[in-house]
Amino acid sequence: MPNNSGKVYGLTILSPIINDDRATPSHDLQIRSYLAGLSTGQDSPFALAPGTHLARLVVMDDVVFVGAPAVEEHLNSKYLIFESNCDAGPDGSIDGYLNGLAEHAAEHLDAIWSHCVGYPGAADRAAFIRYMKACQLETTFFFAAINDKSVPETLRALQTQRAVADFIESHQGVEPEKLRAEFLKLVSALDAAPLPTVASAIVSRDIKIGGRNE
Amino acid sequence: MSKLNETDIQGFVLRGYNLPFGRYIFIHFKNPDRAVVLISKLLPMITTGQRWDNGKPPSTVNIAFTHRGLAALALPDATLLSFPVEFQQGMKKRAEILGDTGRNAPERWDAVWHGDEVHAWLGINGLTAEALETCCSQVRALFAETGGAIELAAQDAVSNMVNGQQTGKEHFGYTDGFGNPDYLGIERNSQPGHGKQLPDGSWAPLATGELLLGYADEAGELPIAPIPHILASNGTFMVYRKLHQNVATFRKFLDEQSANYGGGREKLAAKLIGRWRDGTPLELAPDAPDQSIVKDPTRNTNFTYGADGAGTRCPIGAHMRRAHPRDAFGFNGKLIDRRRITRRGQTYGRFVPEGESASDAEDRGVVFMVLNANISRQFEFVQQQWIEYGNDAKQGNDKDPLIGNHGGHGKFVVQGDRSASNPPLICGHLPNFVELRGGDYFFIPSITALGMIAMKLVDPR
Amino acid sequence: MSNINGKVYAMNAITPMKPWKTWILRLIFFVLGHVKSLQQDLINLSFIEFARWVVVPRGGFPQLGNGQEPEKLTYDYLLFFSNFNGTWNQYIDAFSAVLFKGLDLIWKWSEKFPGSVPVTIFKEYIGRVQFDTDYYFTAYPHATANDLKAAHSVQASFDDLRSRAANLSGPEFADAYLNFVLQVQPYLGETGEAPVVF
Repeated sequence: MPNNSGKVYGLTILSPIINDDRATPSHDLQIRSYLAGLSTGQDSPFALAPGTHLARLVVMDDVVFVGAPAVEEHLNSKYLIFESNCDAGPDGSIDGYLNGLAEHAAEHLDAIWSHCVGYPGAADRAAFIRYMKACQLETTFFFAAINDKSVPETLRALQTQRAVADFIESHQGVEPEKLRAEFLKLVSALDAAPLPTVASAIVSRDIKIGGRNE
Repeated sequence: MSKLNETDIQGFVLRGYNLPFGRYIFIHFKNPDRAVVLISKLLPMITTGQRWDNGKPPSTVNIAFTHRGLAALALPDATLLSFPVEFQQGMKKRAEILGDTGRNAPERWDAVWHGDEVHAWLGINGLTAEALETCCSQVRALFAETGGAIELAAQDAVSNMVNGQQTGKEHFGYTDGFGNPDYLGIERNSQPGHGKQLPDGSWAPLATGELLLGYADEAGELPIAPIPHILASNGTFMVYRKLHQNVATFRKFLDEQSANYGGGREKLAAKLIGRWRDGTPLELAPDAPDQSIVKDPTRNTNFTYGADGAGTRCPIGAHMRRAHPRDAFGFNGKLIDRRRITRRGQTYGRFVPEGESASDAEDRGVVFMVLNANISRQFEFVQQQWIEYGNDAKQGNDKDPLIGNHGGHGKFVVQGDRSASNPPLICGHLPNFVELRGGDYFFIPSITALGMIAMKLVDPR
Repeated sequence: MSNINGKVYAMNAITPMKPWKTWILRLIFFVLGHVKSLQQDLINLSFIEFARWVVVPRGGFPQLGNGQEPEKLTYDYLLFFSNFNGTWNQYIDAFSAVLFKGLDLIWKWSEKFPGSVPVTIFKEYIGRVQFDTDYYFTAYPHATANDLKAAHSVQASFDDLRSRAANLSGPEFADAYLNFVLQVQPYLGETGEAPVVF
């Protein structure tokens, strides 16, 4: 399946936006306006729900006219594009990811997709997943630089890397027994540390283990 | 590629004069009509790229303009607006992009840069101090005679002397000036390691358009240039940066860090930059400096990093490996061929040999001048992405250890191996060894273009 | 609207293709997808985190009824989505400099595609067919693809050492630790704020 690369999934959804002359502002503008104010940090729907590495939402107004002699043509609907690079389920499916979104970010999903044709709401999970799949396009070619790591594994690795860099710097020239003891302390500290939050500011420097200047 | 018209290109663009005495005079045009008279009187004094068959002249004069300066000369608006945005803005407005913040922020620059008064740079170099003074007097007399310009400030520069001899050493003690690129059509004693690397490993000159406007560049097109073309052709852009050097901080750092480093003080100094202080490249001689390499033009720039991916010879984050990564990013260097810059540097302030006490407060450093066809694509890219950031080198946010704007928070990883004399080392809490004291972006026109400006003959089309 | 979040840039582009050409493109992607060595340049251009191409046939835009008017198009469309690190110019310069053959193979079926060399005309085309991102999320705004790969490398070496550390004597550990440091020493760059976009 071209939607899959290793453990990650390339989800492409195009949801037709309701075309209603009576709506003011129009539905596409209402989506844009909501998205403009939507947090990209820890309150983001993609931070509240698990499994998103990177995702975007784009209102596509129309196709592009590239100039003569190409023909000018237009779409009858505008589309909301949802492009997500996320963790696939163990079976490679996207159902678990969509279910997680509906479970953790229903309010945002409803606020955004209620402007789209045929959106059933996130409360009815099965209908929501059916709807999203009805709007899904198959990826023709998907490239993932890293395709064997989940979001939690990546967050953990970023935390480990920073702690290790700090540890090495502060343990240059430390004698073997102490080095070993403090390395084991680092292991425990990392095990005990909470997973860093998604989309948060710089990974914290809380993990400090002894070292030369202790 | 036919031979360039060296009589039309300012000499400063084509070659480093290597004259020991320099003065950079910054001027302000009061009135366009009087200013163009000044330019027409300066024109015969301008040093061109013509070869010096009879030895070096006693002095040289070159001229370059800020965008405000060109506006003060009343060039047509259509021409002024056709210059690249970064040149129109000037270096101060690009401070955030360049990482010129904190200790390097424009508020801390020399007074001459505080207003937006600098209209032109006059670069004067002399074989002797007397020749420099004589030439400066002649130029300054023209300011008074024409009423075309007032002098805002002058920056003196002088090559560091050791035992009364001119040296290529800068204040930290590194021998400088190895790596300028070769360009097609520019006569120079070419050597392997200049220019660009070809897939077969050999070296070739860069396209002329990486340095000069009006010629094809490495992308196979003419560089973005102002209109009319004749104003731009044979011209280039210059970045002027006055870099103060904290020599005491630098030496203290070497003392402290080398106390815990098996490689010793000199090797640590070499690891920061990628060359031993005498100029020997670490890639060719990782264990000790070797003057036979330094003196050999077929070797002293003839190396690559491909076989040293781990950085155990030259650290991945070392200054030289960042500023000119050669093959370090793969693709036979194709990713870097459009990021090369030509450097013209000259030290200022008193040289203090190791062993004599030095203070950061003393006024010393290097006047660093960059020549490139596209400031944004070349200088600014190198400065932002490779000096003040490390992603292309896979070093995250780590900055250039030597010239990065660290503010006390820098980190430098010296990759090592299992040997006692080349262990790994992490240097934390790096201070600023170098601080920016001002500068701007300048356009260096051709002789033809100077004449057009002097005669007010610039039409936009 | 913002195409940028921290260290990543979201590019969207759409180009029209005559439907008969779409099949050639599908074949090319099929080969690219199944011959991994052809992806090596894409991997070596280490500033791309994720990229995808989606061919939308002229009858393939989602149709949900409920009064949605069907699309009447003569072209198929090629959608391109990229998540890359660094500047827009850097990205396109790099593509044009080292991936021009691959790019031409993918986009030459699109109307009016000028070729990816020389770069300025190519950039002009990209500028015309690019459309902007309204909302862009990344779980790691302070990390690039290189940073993430470095972190995973450190984690793997760390896990290896921790699994052995408790059973090693002091001197044995010191030796294993030196090996560990030598393994991770290229991967210790800081994560943090992205440079200012220009």
